[in-house]
Amino acid sequence: MPRLFRTTSFRFTLIYVLLFIGAVGVLGAVVYRVTFGAAERQTDITINNEITVLADLFVANGPGMLTRVIRQRTAWRDDSIYMLIGAPSGAVLAGNLTALPPEALEAEGDFFDFEFERPILDAAGRELGVEKRKARGKVTRFRAAPDAGQSYLVVVARDIGTREFLRDRLASAYFRIIFATVALGVVIGLLFSRALLRRVEAVNKTARAIRAGDLTQRIPRTQADDELDHLSANLNSMLDQIERLMTGMRDVSDNIAHDLRSPLTRIRNRLTDALKADAAGKEAALAATLEETERMLATFNALLSIARIQSGEGAGAMAPIDLVAIAEEMAELFEPAAQDAGFALTLITAPTPLIKGSRELVSQAVANFLDNALKYAAGGSRIELKVEPGQGGGGRISVADDGPGVPESDQDRIFERFVRLESSRSNPGSGLGLSLVAAIARAHGAELRLEDGLPHRAQREGGRGLRIALAFPAPEFD
Amino acid sequence: MRILLIEDDAEAAAFAAKRLREAGHVVDHALDGDSGLNMATAGEYDAYVIDRMLPKLDGLSVLSRRREAGDETPALFLSALGEVDDRVSGLQAGGDDYLVKPYAVQELLARVEALGRRRAAAPTSVTTRYQVGDLELDLLTRTVRRGGRKIDLQPREFRLLEYLMRHADQVVTRTMLLENVWEYHFDPQTNVIDVHISRLRSKIDKDFDKPLLKTVRGAGYTISEAD
Repeated sequence: MPRLFRTTSFRFTLIYVLLFIGAVGVLGAVVYRVTFGAAERQTDITINNEITVLADLFVANGPGMLTRVIRQRTAWRDDSIYMLIGAPSGAVLAGNLTALPPEALEAEGDFFDFEFERPILDAAGRELGVEKRKARGKVTRFRAAPDAGQSYLVVVARDIGTREFLRDRLASAYFRIIFATVALGVVIGLLFSRALLRRVEAVNKTARAIRAGDLTQRIPRTQADDELDHLSANLNSMLDQIERLMTGMRDVSDNIAHDLRSPLTRIRNRLTDALKADAAGKEAALAATLEETERMLATFNALLSIARIQSGEGAGAMAPIDLVAIAEEMAELFEPAAQDAGFALTLITAPTPLIKGSRELVSQAVANFLDNALKYAAGGSRIELKVEPGQGGGGRISVADDGPGVPESDQDRIFERFVRLESSRSNPGSGLGLSLVAAIARAHGAELRLEDGLPHRAQREGGRGLRIALAFPAPEFD
Repeated sequence: MRILLIEDDAEAAAFAAKRLREAGHVVDHALDGDSGLNMATAGEYDAYVIDRMLPKLDGLSVLSRRREAGDETPALFLSALGEVDDRVSGLQAGGDDYLVKPYAVQELLARVEALGRRRAAAPTSVTTRYQVGDLELDLLTRTVRRGGRKIDLQPREFRLLEYLMRHADQVVTRTMLLENVWEYHFDPQTNVIDVHISRLRSKIDKDFDKPLLKTVRGAGYTISEAD
């Protein structure tokens, strides 16, 4: 079967056409019954009545009267047909039929259909020719007494030519309509199918291109904004997500290659040297190697976490969470460490609506902020952890310090992987903390903002502090 | 303790097994899920250490089959999958603890020993008092005394001490403390736990001759009367 015929829309059209034909068939049958069917039955009743009347006449007044009455009625020249034949002589006594129709003898006593010839007359009554007409009638045998030798055959019929003609015309019109409907249905079905196929083909084409490796391909949308467009939009956003994941994966492998190659090279060099070194040198090399591998493992873990959070996989179940509770817990966890490092950690909270998120991830982000503040707010003395309602129904959690802050020119870069500002090279760290936070923010649809922090007590030159904030959108709980 | 280690990475398994044996445990090793399940069914163990991704039969299935058979041996999952969902599915399969690869062997050792202790402690109803030397912790009155003298602790310090004393004479790692006392599964980088420990130490050890809360270099902490 060609492809066009196998489409869903074509099948639907076909089913529709079949149902339509069924409905039209039922309608036709009903209309036929109440019009032509009724007319036919009426004809039969009339013929029966007439036979009864003629029989009464024959019984009461004898064959002479019957002959007269039939001759009289024949003269009216309507659609009535009569024939009176004397038996056994076979003489035609009256009537407008030239010969007894052969069907009459077969259908003894029952209704029969036959054809007869009728003269065509012009307005003046001249005969122009004959025409064949259809008729329906009944033949009955009249007998004066059950044992009488003489009997009469009476044919009473009606010319049904006009009705039959109408019926034939109607039937042919009816079947032509059905045929036209089917033809139209098939054509429309094919057109629909072609239109649909063309749009499905656009999806297939995109899918093939993507399979061939071009992840940037998207399904074209039409103006229709119909369910196919919605499907395309959904598929496109799925493709966006897949592309994002693929890019993420590529980034991760690039980063791994970048960040793990140099320590691996260092390890190899150190081990090569150690082979030739004395006992003390060997031990030192081993210790340094161990330390290096610990750092590599930490980096590796951080990269994996980022990749998983970015894929939306590591987020766990997003549930309603309370930023205030998280802030309280994190403040409690970090307070001793902050105090040890010479900072006063204050917690400021305002009633804040619940947001949708992962307690683990949001806590991890806040821990990162606090960890950064402890590491990089050199010379500062205050850290503030603040929770406040966000604009538009969400919530905002931020950590501010009164350290040196981040220069404007570096503000975008600090969220990139492995970026460690010159000023902080000497501090330990993988350079992945804030890109982890950025991934967490994306997973929550939250905005990550850098702002000025707390003013330093001495208002040092350039020391404007840093506030880093996560602004969560108003939750859509389902 | 008799420990069944089911891990397909032979080298990592050999390394872990060696350290566990050095610590005085008996370790059997299976290389895939099928043989691991057979060994678990046949043998008597005090703890299982099961890798989640195993050839033939995955780790979750191995443990859930043992659990269905009524085996309550404590089990620790090893996994490269460390996210919350994976952890939850591990615990749902009947796991008692979850350790993310790569891990330090001390961490594994500490956790396996904690599992063994949990099992040993389980039958003796509910413990409401812990004692290490002259340090006592009462869960019902939520009081801590040392040498009969009452020591005031913050709620978190109390939970920290409770966890340490529950695992007295065992090494407890920083991650174990973070997971069990604070219920976080990430590394907060900063030495937050160390500072909490030193605060606790200043309350329970400072004014006494014999220190009980000790730092185990490169591993974690332990609370113990022994030197």
